[in-house]
Amino acid sequence: MPTRRLLLAAAAIAGLATAPALAQQARTPITMWIGVTGPAQEEIMRYAQEFNASQTQFEAKVEFRGQYPEQRAAAFAAFRAGNPPHIMQMFDAGTGDMFALPRATIPVSEVMQRAGVQFDPAAYIGPARGYYSRPDGTMNSLPFNVSTAVMFINNDIFTRAGLDPSKPPRTWPEVIAAANQIRERNAAECGFTTTWLAWTMLEQYSALHDLPLSTEANGRGGLNAVLNFNDAPRARMVQTLVDASRNKAFQYGGRSNDANALFVAGTCGMLIQSSGGHAAIARDLKASFSVAPMPFWPDVIAEPKNSIVGGASLWVFNAPNRSAEELRGVAQFLSFLARPEVYVRFAKATGFLPATNAAFQAMQAEGFFQQNAGRDVPILQLTRGTPTANSSGYRFGRWTEIRDMYHEEVERALQGQQTAQAALDNAVRRGNDALRQFERSVGASN
Amino acid sequence: MERKVVYPQKVLPYLLLAPQIAITLVFFFWPAGQAIWMSTLLQDPLGFSVQFVGLENFEAVLKDTAYVATLQRTFLFSFGVTALAMIPALLLAVMVDRVVRGATAYRTVLVVPYAIAPAVAGALWLFLFQPSIGTIAYPLRLLGIDWNPRIDGTDAMIVVVIASAWKQIGYNFLFFLAGLQSIPKSLLEAAAIDGASEVRRFWTIVFPLLSPTTFFLLVINITYAFFDTFGVIHAVTQGGPGKSTEVLIYKAWYDGLIAQDLGRSSAQAVILMIIVIGLTVIQFRYVERRVHY
Repeated sequence: MPTRRLLLAAAAIAGLATAPALAQQARTPITMWIGVTGPAQEEIMRYAQEFNASQTQFEAKVEFRGQYPEQRAAAFAAFRAGNPPHIMQMFDAGTGDMFALPRATIPVSEVMQRAGVQFDPAAYIGPARGYYSRPDGTMNSLPFNVSTAVMFINNDIFTRAGLDPSKPPRTWPEVIAAANQIRERNAAECGFTTTWLAWTMLEQYSALHDLPLSTEANGRGGLNAVLNFNDAPRARMVQTLVDASRNKAFQYGGRSNDANALFVAGTCGMLIQSSGGHAAIARDLKASFSVAPMPFWPDVIAEPKNSIVGGASLWVFNAPNRSAEELRGVAQFLSFLARPEVYVRFAKATGFLPATNAAFQAMQAEGFFQQNAGRDVPILQLTRGTPTANSSGYRFGRWTEIRDMYHEEVERALQGQQTAQAALDNAVRRGNDALRQFERSVGASN
Repeated sequence: MERKVVYPQKVLPYLLLAPQIAITLVFFFWPAGQAIWMSTLLQDPLGFSVQFVGLENFEAVLKDTAYVATLQRTFLFSFGVTALAMIPALLLAVMVDRVVRGATAYRTVLVVPYAIAPAVAGALWLFLFQPSIGTIAYPLRLLGIDWNPRIDGTDAMIVVVIASAWKQIGYNFLFFLAGLQSIPKSLLEAAAIDGASEVRRFWTIVFPLLSPTTFFLLVINITYAFFDTFGVIHAVTQGGPGKSTEVLIYKAWYDGLIAQDLGRSSAQAVILMIIVIGLTVIQFRYVERRVHY
């Protein structure tokens, strides 16, 4: 490592000497792969154009490479071929893979430091900083599109069911009661639904109720973490969904974002969804809606903890052919994106959260949250109270796959093929197999 | 008597063959070799650590009850797709063969689905069977059938089988029609004069004479069901709900690309390769003997 640093430093000096001459001829291209669509994608593309117009040395090229999982697969393949993008947008579930393979990336803190660009991890909101930083405070990746799960309520359906949309249900018993009332009064075809089942009903749910997903501080303590989320409170949540699906108080809408369609079509009265979906709901739903925090079980926890961050962060790939000039460009582009005004614009346009405290305060100062009711619900939920080991996120290899194991087993419970407890037992058993396989596979590389 | 054709040129035949051989080497033997090599390795997602583990990946895959269930499901799925793609195609071909006027129009309409990409075909059937708004799901619900492929594994399987088979019907139809048209009309007329009914003529003359075509299509359709239905499944169910529509090719893709477990994914690819080679050998060895050319 020290020799490589020296070489890089030497290359940087050489680069400095030749840079002015080169600048007039060609810009150094900086590629960034992203995995978001819609308004979020359009915004990021726009920032790249603005960056390119703001200076003459670098040219940021932002490319959409499929949804998160496909983009991740493409980036990994490119890395193996020795030619990864400079920057990639990795979704929350892939974070554990990246932490376990430190030789593949350069921490954002270090990229900024080498380029002499000022960068302060403390500027970021606590949950995002914790999720993407090493224990020593080094920030591994740059939080960009930060979100968390909240509950959206269709006010018209609530009114039709004789419920008060200004007093949204706070707890799970209240949600179930409201959903049953919606069904009984036939105000809608279904009471509530959720997108991203594992993210909302396992990950967010566990953080809120201060329950661990595994040993070793949710995997932050080491790759030898053993999953243990098959306990009574988690099984009760799954059982609640199974029971509620009998009278369509709950309707399952698929593993990813598909349940959003059930809400905007007016089929379901309530939706648990990423705050990042706010702009799309506002655009598509033909009714007024409210935003409420995620519900909780009062007999499990009196005061629910903070929820955890979702969304994605920006990682800088390491590769043998990276020049110091390129890394300088990466630092320039990332610091361009990390300005409070960009975070504010992005948050306003999409519903993702302002990732830095300064951006949040700027939005408060201009009265954004007064004019846009409900937009502060996710950030207040994310930052409330003091985070515990169970509400500071998690770090597991192969979590993308383990999420699907949870989906598959819960789907089988919803089909009546197994009990809620058996679903979680199976998910934990299969998940632990995947974790052990991952631990073995990276064991020799670190 | 066969006359042996002798080329005076020694090099030319090889030159003419070279492009085909190069394509086979690059696109078949090289990746197949890679798959076999990778199936003996345990490596992390980015290839920093590569350990040779011998046949351990095969052992893990074959001992996995989920894999065995997927194997059985794949056979069921392939049988369903092949039957549903061939029987209606034959029926349609027999009917179009009898049409005198406008045969070209019928033929064109029936072949169109083949031109549709698997993922698009999947999306199309997904809409038709969508539980709340689907054109087919709606009457099903009126009939009192609780239709929901998102929750019910059997419903989901029905959708992917229909979507996969539907796409292939046009292709099978064309071959059956060509086969039917090559059957000498004099044979059928003679049988008709002898008093054989239409059904009897079909089973004793047409069907046996069609058997080369049927056999060829059987091979093609089973291979299609094994390998080319990935697009449909990916677009419609992603292998769910539960694992109820996960077939071998989908599992190999998932374990390789999403789970990034290249060793076990490669082991599955090798097993898949062996299964298909085996099926093809069986078909050529035993089924072909009963085929009349």
